[in-house]
Amino acid sequence: MNIDNSKAQMRKGILEYCILLILSKKPLYASDIIGELKAAQMIVVEGTLYPLLTRLKNDGYLSYKWEESLQGPPRKYYELTPEGTTFLSELEISWSDLVEAIKQLKDKG
Amino acid sequence: MKKTLTINLSGLVFHIDDDAYEKLYAYLTQINRHFGNDAEAKEIVEDIENRIAEIFTEKIKSGGEVINLDHVNEVIVIMGTPEAISNEEEEKQPAAGKKFYHTGGKRLYRDPEDKVLGGVCGGLGAYFSIDPVIIRIIFALIFFLGGNGSRYSKRSYGNSC
Repeated sequence: MNIDNSKAQMRKGILEYCILLILSKKPLYASDIIGELKAAQMIVVEGTLYPLLTRLKNDGYLSYKWEESLQGPPRKYYELTPEGTTFLSELEISWSDLVEAIKQLKDKG
Repeated sequence: MKKTLTINLSGLVFHIDDDAYEKLYAYLTQINRHFGNDAEAKEIVEDIENRIAEIFTEKIKSGGEVINLDHVNEVIVIMGTPEAISNEEEEKQPAAGKKFYHTGGKRLYRDPEDKVLGGVCGGLGAYFSIDPVIIRIIFALIFFLGGNGSRYSKRSYGNSC
């Protein structure tokens, strides 16, 4: 068992949840999402995000709009769909369940 | 003096040094291979190319007209090598409706890439992780000594009767 690997596994499990959480506030484009995820030390490289966004979009939880940019090619601005909002609230329940479960385990001892 | 190439990345034109081009091309090839070949993968690679074009545009705005090796190296650090990406990625869930996904178990195949006659020894070699040449030698020995083997077995049948 390697501590870095265990930490990475934990982060992987909640990446989708984090992305939906970030996008629930306002529509953003990939680099903005990356900025927030990096600040939260959730990911290091941008390449990780694109497959997740595409998968969430193909599953119907996200949609995007093209917006022109002065800094280069047009950008995809992602936002939650109604399905995405429902999915997020389910993930939130599951997250609080987990936190509660850990708390109970800690308090037992 | 350096040779410069012109590339089109996400519809934008960039001048890029020869060595920087080689590096970028190799990187994008790796990324392509990492994500695979379906429509989803194509979209992911397009998004990545889009982002690279954006970073290059920023670089050119802040001085210089040509994309050089440093710029490309910087892009690779930002986007991540395929190894770095798969370290952070979730395990891919097999998509519903895909019938032929690999379950991770070993399977024995003839190997058309590594064959002398039919690829059988190559396949066996790959399966057992040993050099197919060794298997070919064992097969050849069995072939030539096969006759003796049957004679011995006949004799032993005789003894037992």
